[in-house]
Amino acid sequence: MISVATPRHSVVANAVYGLLNPIPFGAFVAALVFDITYARTGVLLWGKGAAWLIVIGLLFAIVPRLVNLVQVWITSRVIATRADRLDFWVNLLAIVAAIFNAFVHSRDAYAMVPAGVWLSLCTVVLLAIGHVLIAVQYSTLGSAIHE
Amino acid sequence: MNKSIWLGAVALAFAAVLGGCNNKAELTSAQQTGSNPPLPAPQNFLLPPMRVPNGVGWKQGQMPQVAAGLKIEKIASGLMHPRQLYVLPNHDVLVVESNGPGLEPVTTPKQLIAGKIKNMSGKGGKGGNRITLLRRNGADGEWEKHIFLEHLHSPFGVQLIGDSLYVANTDGIVKFPYVTGETQITAPGVEFADLPGSIEHHWTKALLASPDGSKLYVGVGSNSNITENGLAVEYRRAAVLEVDVASASSRIYASGLRNPTGLQWEPTTGKLWAIVNERDEIGADLVPDYLTSVQAGAFYGWPYSYYGQHVDTRVKPQRPDLVQKAIKPDYALGSHVAALGLWFSTDNALPAQYHGGAFVAEHGSWNRSPLSGYRVIFVPFQQGMPAGLPQTVVSGFHSADEKELYGAPVGLAQDADGALLIADDVGDTVWRVTAQ
Repeated sequence: MISVATPRHSVVANAVYGLLNPIPFGAFVAALVFDITYARTGVLLWGKGAAWLIVIGLLFAIVPRLVNLVQVWITSRVIATRADRLDFWVNLLAIVAAIFNAFVHSRDAYAMVPAGVWLSLCTVVLLAIGHVLIAVQYSTLGSAIHE
Repeated sequence: MNKSIWLGAVALAFAAVLGGCNNKAELTSAQQTGSNPPLPAPQNFLLPPMRVPNGVGWKQGQMPQVAAGLKIEKIASGLMHPRQLYVLPNHDVLVVESNGPGLEPVTTPKQLIAGKIKNMSGKGGKGGNRITLLRRNGADGEWEKHIFLEHLHSPFGVQLIGDSLYVANTDGIVKFPYVTGETQITAPGVEFADLPGSIEHHWTKALLASPDGSKLYVGVGSNSNITENGLAVEYRRAAVLEVDVASASSRIYASGLRNPTGLQWEPTTGKLWAIVNERDEIGADLVPDYLTSVQAGAFYGWPYSYYGQHVDTRVKPQRPDLVQKAIKPDYALGSHVAALGLWFSTDNALPAQYHGGAFVAEHGSWNRSPLSGYRVIFVPFQQGMPAGLPQTVVSGFHSADEKELYGAPVGLAQDADGALLIADDVGDTVWRVTAQ
């Protein structure tokens, strides 16, 4: 989100977004680490842990994604940059990948490998692209980085 | 950014997710019975396949359908999840009322959701943890109902040896003194032998005494579908255990049998036979549940392979050495039919076509479309081996549209008059089948 003054931005929406938006990224990164560990060891704890992390990440993503949807396409439509819109789309794709991944992780035992690892990687890379896009936008605007 | 392309891609992705739900069977149960069932290639699903009719029970006067030449009557109702039947020498009928102990922790998001869906069928109904005794009243032929034994712990198998009644609770065999003619046992049981009792993904412990009363055979199911709870919790599971009655010591008699829910002696050869429930979630037509003779020391594949050398890639680490040893079972019953009751009968009160073979109760599928099982079949035997296609003896446990479930057959036994008795744990009823 760009934090340059736009009177129509809701403070509450921004606060909620800033609070919740980092959580899915952390959960999905941890899920990727767990998935790789499970693929390499076959110790089920890691696969089951990854399954929970993906569901938790998805649940926490619901509110910030809706806030982002409204801001980019409705309330801040006029001032939204290309980077903002791109960020929206890569996040959407990441969520779609994570939804697929939640289903893949419902498979028993090693049936979640290798699809689960690739989908976790996909989710993390897409979210990372979004974060980098926004970070770069902040630096060009000359403000400190915090979403 | 071209929005419509992106939206199109997303729409396609969701369509693919929905397409993944499709788990329609291509083979009928009949096509997948016998000694050489066709086995399609295994597949992985996006959505765990589930199809569960809604448990509604039997309406007043409503009954299962029987094959031509047979009639069916209700001899007990209002039971608490009747699972297993056992006929005592004085012709009293024991009804084991039981269900799982609910020990399995929720360790995945899927378990959280799947457990709720399965319970809608009525198969998750609370068990009585008791045994009820049914006695036929000589005067009017009505069946009296007595509470015989209470405070059990998810019991399933029951066997009488001499004057000792052995009850297989989910975590151990308990021995009770039995006096002929009594309608209640109040004496406390004595712990006889330990059985694997953790998690209890498959909780039933089938029990069968050897004809000389020196050994007890116990069917112990696996603690998972396909090792998803780890291999450590599978110790002495997916096996038939042999317990020495004199010393209570035990050994693994045969292994790799995912969930052996019924054990019986084949009458002409005296060999041990079992019905076994095979693994789920690799297809509507995989893997057929089966009826097989159980050879001492043999390995039947679970978890590493099915039907001989068909490797299951979901298991880590793989064990090619064990796969090589895996024995192919004798007779397929169809995929996901959930065979839970087995009864061999040389002679009975049914027409001659039902003499000399095995009755099998199929509790019915929860993850296949169309439904499979939900019936009692007869498998004819010749020279101690299955010969020919199974015949449906009792059916009509669910509505024609597969939405409502009235009952589900489990334990089988034969009463003093040679009638076939069927425990129905969704309808909480015991049925009795005779010739018309």
